[in-house]
Amino acid sequence: MKTKSFANLPTDVAADMMDGSRSVFWTPARITGAFILVCLLLFAVLGPVFISTDPLHQNYNAVLVGPGVDGYLLGTDHFGRSMVSRLAHGAQLSFAMAFVTAISAAVPGILLGVIAAARGGMVERGLVALSDIILALPGLLLVLLLLAFAPGEFGPLYLGLALYLWVEFFRVARIETARVITSPSVEATRLLGFSRLYVFTRIIVPALTGPMATLFAFAMGSAIIAVSTLSAIHVGLRPPTPELGAMIVELVPYYSEAPLQILMPAIGIFLLVLGLQLMAGRKS
Amino acid sequence: MTYELRIENLTVRTADDTVLVSDVSLVCGPSNPICLIGETGSGKSLVMHAIMGSLPDSLSCDGKILLDGTDILPLSPQQRRELWGRKFALLPQEPWLSLDPTMRVGAQVAELYTDLRGIGRKQANQMAADELASVGLAGSFDAYPFELSGGMAQRVSIAMAHAAQSPIMLADEPTKGLDRALCDVVADLLRGEVAAGRTLMVITHDLELAEKVGGTVGVMRKGRLLELGTADQVLRNPSHDYSRELVAALPANWPVRTPARAKKSDDIVVAADSIGKSFGRNTLFSDVDVAIAKGQVTIILGPSGSGKSTLGNILLKLIKPDAGHVSWGDDLPAMKYQKIYQDPPSAFIAGQTLGRAFADLRKLHNIDGARINAMLDQLGLDRGLLARRPDAISGGELQRFAIARSLLLDPVMLFADEATSRLDPVSQKRVIDLLCAQVRDRGLALLLVTHDPDLAEHIADHIIRISDGDHSSLAAKAA
Repeated sequence: MKTKSFANLPTDVAADMMDGSRSVFWTPARITGAFILVCLLLFAVLGPVFISTDPLHQNYNAVLVGPGVDGYLLGTDHFGRSMVSRLAHGAQLSFAMAFVTAISAAVPGILLGVIAAARGGMVERGLVALSDIILALPGLLLVLLLLAFAPGEFGPLYLGLALYLWVEFFRVARIETARVITSPSVEATRLLGFSRLYVFTRIIVPALTGPMATLFAFAMGSAIIAVSTLSAIHVGLRPPTPELGAMIVELVPYYSEAPLQILMPAIGIFLLVLGLQLMAGRKS
Repeated sequence: MTYELRIENLTVRTADDTVLVSDVSLVCGPSNPICLIGETGSGKSLVMHAIMGSLPDSLSCDGKILLDGTDILPLSPQQRRELWGRKFALLPQEPWLSLDPTMRVGAQVAELYTDLRGIGRKQANQMAADELASVGLAGSFDAYPFELSGGMAQRVSIAMAHAAQSPIMLADEPTKGLDRALCDVVADLLRGEVAAGRTLMVITHDLELAEKVGGTVGVMRKGRLLELGTADQVLRNPSHDYSRELVAALPANWPVRTPARAKKSDDIVVAADSIGKSFGRNTLFSDVDVAIAKGQVTIILGPSGSGKSTLGNILLKLIKPDAGHVSWGDDLPAMKYQKIYQDPPSAFIAGQTLGRAFADLRKLHNIDGARINAMLDQLGLDRGLLARRPDAISGGELQRFAIARSLLLDPVMLFADEATSRLDPVSQKRVIDLLCAQVRDRGLALLLVTHDPDLAEHIADHIIRISDGDHSSLAAKAA
């Protein structure tokens, strides 16, 4: 009701109000999201530089000690390894891996989606069939198949995840592009002599930015969760590599003795996904 | 309770004290309906939102809105909302968009009995069926909104207002986007409501609707109520200059355009040879011959859904015909054939300012900046508007920007697809006059699609009539 009544305001006023509400990119939600992401990034990038403790160094005299005890800032895990050091290294690895995975899923997914919608015909049908085939396979099964070639390695793990995650980008990009491309604004723009490239950069890209940013945030979250799930069945990254998901899995048996330790990597993942969502979220 | 609605000195302001609606007083009641007419942005919708209590929070209201003598303006938003459905029913613009697309029509009406009036499910269904039958939709209880025509959707929203037993009906542009025949149906429905003793307020820029509803007519412009009187008095014998302009802008009151010189064969810019088109089993037209010449106005006339826009798009080579052939004179480049769209904002890139759009066009085609300025001046467009986005300027102005944009490419033909059907009469006349001036001065070929026979009769050199699934091609106008 409120947005509707804006359209009926006298034009001078409506213009001022609309321009005013549009220029606000840094909403409180975005500022919070950016703050969380910057803190996490600083921790992941600078942490391993400044924390001198080796994340793999074991100290059996201080197993599962609480935060602050024996000079361990956030305590130790079941092998007496420093939690703060493992978290910093793990965050770096997890975030980098999630980012690389999401990018390699997003770029081909979006491009293929736009191509499918723009070309139509056999190209579109072929690509849709391909995406349906992948969707019909359980995602983790695909990763497991690839992992069979090189267990515990990052390469096939990453490839398998990207192969599975691109479908979502493809489907949304295709539908969104198809919607925009049939709109009068595209027809009018083409009639005025503008190139396909202009239509792509000025109409399709802006229309895709919002939904793709949201999907990207979700894809990064799913990548981290998928890696930790695979660690749980001992086919993901191998211990002792510090990785947030693997750390949770390793610490599960000690939950009752050291609940804080298992929460720390979980909070890391939670904050990352939350930060990304707050940044990506559009004002309704 | 007589359900008389009286507004006294209503003023609506923004937070920074800009007055949007100034000192409006009016009264309506059972058997005395009121129509507020005026262009987009005249403040007529704000008056309706003020009555409903649905204004944006940033706007403030002064004055009195008296419902049977009780001022409802000081009530809390919660108390105002209590009146929705129970006292006020809003008949929305384009009602097919405001029905729940996933729910059957009968269930949507029955919901009002169960949720608003606390009647049991079984009895509610029966009452909903009766209500739908009473507005002539007996067979549509199990229909989904997408199965309804525009007029049927409008009747469903009226049935919902009946179900809620709302004594006061507020109709916001009830004929927007409907063709002439459906407009008459809606006018009859609204008259029926008045006859049944309901209080009716209509916001419209459709003067014919105002005339048919009767009662009081108020003319609004720039937030002021310029004239208030009986429909007969205001529409037949307006006293204010703007009202006179508004009435004169009705296509029925236009002076007839002097016909163009006779068509010569080398003037033909588009020739279509026995073209046909069908969608699935539904044949829109077949075996149509069309020839469109420079310096002439050709009109395709027909009701909505008859395929007249499709015919235009085929002539513009945007759609391929199933049969036949379309040829353009001297094989001119596609850029010389331009199109003006029904919904002006949809033809522009949403997030882009108009200045950006014109700058890009200028760069692409090496257009002289002075020519753009001259063009905007010629079409009466303020250059300050270039800083705005398409959604922040009025439909009439935006449509003129669209025309300016097309004319900069020196087209030989312009296809205007219902280009004025969403504009108020004054804006419509201005746009049509501009287009006709281009036809006269530049020898432009104008192809206009419309459902308004008055408009067609007054400006056409040639009329192509399309009725449902049938056509009578190229009848030369005899006026």
